[in-house]
Amino acid sequence: MKNKPLAGIRVADFSWVWAGPFCTLQLAHLGADVIRVECRDRPCVTRQIPPFADFQPGLNRSGYFNQYNQGKRSLTLNLKHPRALDVARRLITRSDVVAENFANGVMERMGLGYEEVRKLRPDAIMVSISGYGRSGPERDFVSYGPATVPLAGFSAVTGYKGGPPMHVGISYGDPTAGLHGAVAVLAALCHRQRTGEGQFIDVSLWEASATLLPDALLEYEMNGTEPPRDGNRDPHMAPHGVFRSAGEDRWVSIAVGTDEEWRSLVAVIGDGELASQRYGTLVDRKRHEDEIEARLTRWTTTHSPEEATRRLQAAGVAAFPAMTNQDLADDPHLTGRDFFVDLPHPEVGKRHHAGIPWKLSEMPCAVTAPAPCLGQHSREVLQEVLGYSESEIEALAADGVLG
Amino acid sequence: MTAGALSHLRLVELGSGFASAYTAKLLADLGADVVKIEPPGGDATRKLGPFPAGRVDPETSGMFLYLNANKRGIVLDLGAAADLARFRKLLDRADVLIHDIAPAELSRYGLEPQEVIRGRPRLVATAIAPFGLRGPYRDYRAYDLNLWNAGGIASLNGGGPGTDDLPPLRTFGYQSTFQVGLNAAVASLGAIFARETSGVGQHVEVSAQEALVTILELTYPFWPYCQMVASRLGNKPIQPLDFFECRDGWVFLCAVEEHQWKTFVEIMGSPEWAALDIFADRLQRAANWDALKPMIASWMAEQTVQELYQLLQRRRVPIAPVSTMGDLWSSKHLNARGFFVSFTHPRAGARRTPGAPYLLSRTPWTLRRPAPLLGEHTAEVVRELA
Repeated sequence: MKNKPLAGIRVADFSWVWAGPFCTLQLAHLGADVIRVECRDRPCVTRQIPPFADFQPGLNRSGYFNQYNQGKRSLTLNLKHPRALDVARRLITRSDVVAENFANGVMERMGLGYEEVRKLRPDAIMVSISGYGRSGPERDFVSYGPATVPLAGFSAVTGYKGGPPMHVGISYGDPTAGLHGAVAVLAALCHRQRTGEGQFIDVSLWEASATLLPDALLEYEMNGTEPPRDGNRDPHMAPHGVFRSAGEDRWVSIAVGTDEEWRSLVAVIGDGELASQRYGTLVDRKRHEDEIEARLTRWTTTHSPEEATRRLQAAGVAAFPAMTNQDLADDPHLTGRDFFVDLPHPEVGKRHHAGIPWKLSEMPCAVTAPAPCLGQHSREVLQEVLGYSESEIEALAADGVLG
Repeated sequence: MTAGALSHLRLVELGSGFASAYTAKLLADLGADVVKIEPPGGDATRKLGPFPAGRVDPETSGMFLYLNANKRGIVLDLGAAADLARFRKLLDRADVLIHDIAPAELSRYGLEPQEVIRGRPRLVATAIAPFGLRGPYRDYRAYDLNLWNAGGIASLNGGGPGTDDLPPLRTFGYQSTFQVGLNAAVASLGAIFARETSGVGQHVEVSAQEALVTILELTYPFWPYCQMVASRLGNKPIQPLDFFECRDGWVFLCAVEEHQWKTFVEIMGSPEWAALDIFADRLQRAANWDALKPMIASWMAEQTVQELYQLLQRRRVPIAPVSTMGDLWSSKHLNARGFFVSFTHPRAGARRTPGAPYLLSRTPWTLRRPAPLLGEHTAEVVRELA
């Protein structure tokens, strides 16, 4: 089998929670050897919160951790111990990439800031992910994932018409910053490949997120207006919404982008009134959107979301059910594409995890190992990667360095 | 000027949606020489706006200007044999192709996965599609809203308990597109990196639906781990983690750790109700949120957003303003970091735009030229091909 793209690239991963681990997950998917440095007295937040397999708590049993750390190795170090820092430094000298997402100054206080890292490994690429970034007047502010969504501007423009600002349902800044971090690291690896030069990458959740609101930001820049919260509607399409379907709390999304799609929709639902000229253009449909939505709902409530989707898609109209996690797990399309990964895990057995959303034709990148148990690879990493002898490892363990 | 990390790459972008445009933007902003192909009438985002002073002009659409800075633009009519031949020639000398042509139309342009890399052993050819290139939904149509639903994110957002009359809610803008674009950039860069050592390019297929399923946070595993359906109608397990209206805007308070709650209570002036047993810990505060929220809300209603934000943050209580667009443009923090950048465009004039999503110390993100006018570089690129 051919090597994966990042075969031979090692990542010293000091990150935790979601943003940093999501960044290094991308690198693991591409074949990098990602070694998560974890502390036993302060395990990753995602090891400590639900969902625990079958409701039985345990540091190796959370689906949250196990989702975002597939294919990585775990080395436990008590970073308060001076000799643990020696081990961390040795890991850095043998790594191509260093990743972290602690609060500002934490890596520097441990003596593992970029200035130290580049002394240990001049061509290292260090990626530092944080809520506010590593400079600027608010750099020391406390950043929690859920709060970066409103901070970055999403909540002001997301919500039901006339209602309060809303969240988006996930800590959206985390994966957004994680993916941006991965893009930047990969570009930096390409640069290093040609020049031998490493560098430091500063990613802020706030900025990475705000670059995804150009339409709202430019509306303000160009016209001085704030886009209103308008539910599921869109200024350039109508109808454009999520409509109640048959069944309990079941919904289907329908979006009509052209007049032709509108005519197809009307033909499928067979509503003679909607076939009238009054609704022929986008301008007409925006003017009568309430009425159109009400009539469309009469049709959607008599069909399951799946049936509505089948019939509308057959006519070339964009429609799809509002999927729940259960719907996704059972979805024939996703399962048929082998998207889910259920490798046997020593404590939770075989469970579905979301896999890799892309496929490379010449270097297939299937996930080859489940998320690690806490400290599962400590000895193997110390021995094989860092070159410690058995007796040195015993001494480190006895000294509480591996805690 | 420092060369960009990707300034050695020649990239061709072809697409109808903005997934390909956004992916190519990520690479263009790091230095790649991107040739964007538009159809004779111009890219669809030229009609999208926003437009300066609201005046519709295909040369000044904000979304087009944002997505296509740093690129060269050419017009090709791929329905005509001569232009299709030019397109193929462009591919012959390109390092990377990024496209989001619908799966059913791939054969019209010779873009089937095996076909596009045949005879082009070093090409990295990336195809972005709503549901990927195979499987029962392969040819389904999907706008951003449909994908946000297909990926399972819409069903996580709504009004909470007792609001089942309200539908699952989209997130503003074109977030499905941006997420799949980021994933396409990750996979493409992986393939580009590997090409330098292996000498071989490859085809890359990216599914938008799958990209969204990877960002469901802890909600997806609730099914395989606990057989529980994640719902927008559920109660939050811990509080405070909610929005409040102040005198001049909104804030989001996240005082879920005990020490944060205590500090917050102190800042509120230690009201008697805060000491009630029913608010004793974060689980109880969540269970009794109906009673607690109005108490906090009436105090919040007297505060001003920036003062409260600065005060609570200095006491280490996580709180954020609900930033409006105006707030973002005037943020001292973002401006101190140089987040917004300026450019001058022949038709749109002097403008400002969001800039770098990351700061690379040696090969920085750059804005080198504004988005191309329609067909601005057609003659130049055709000359290069000769």
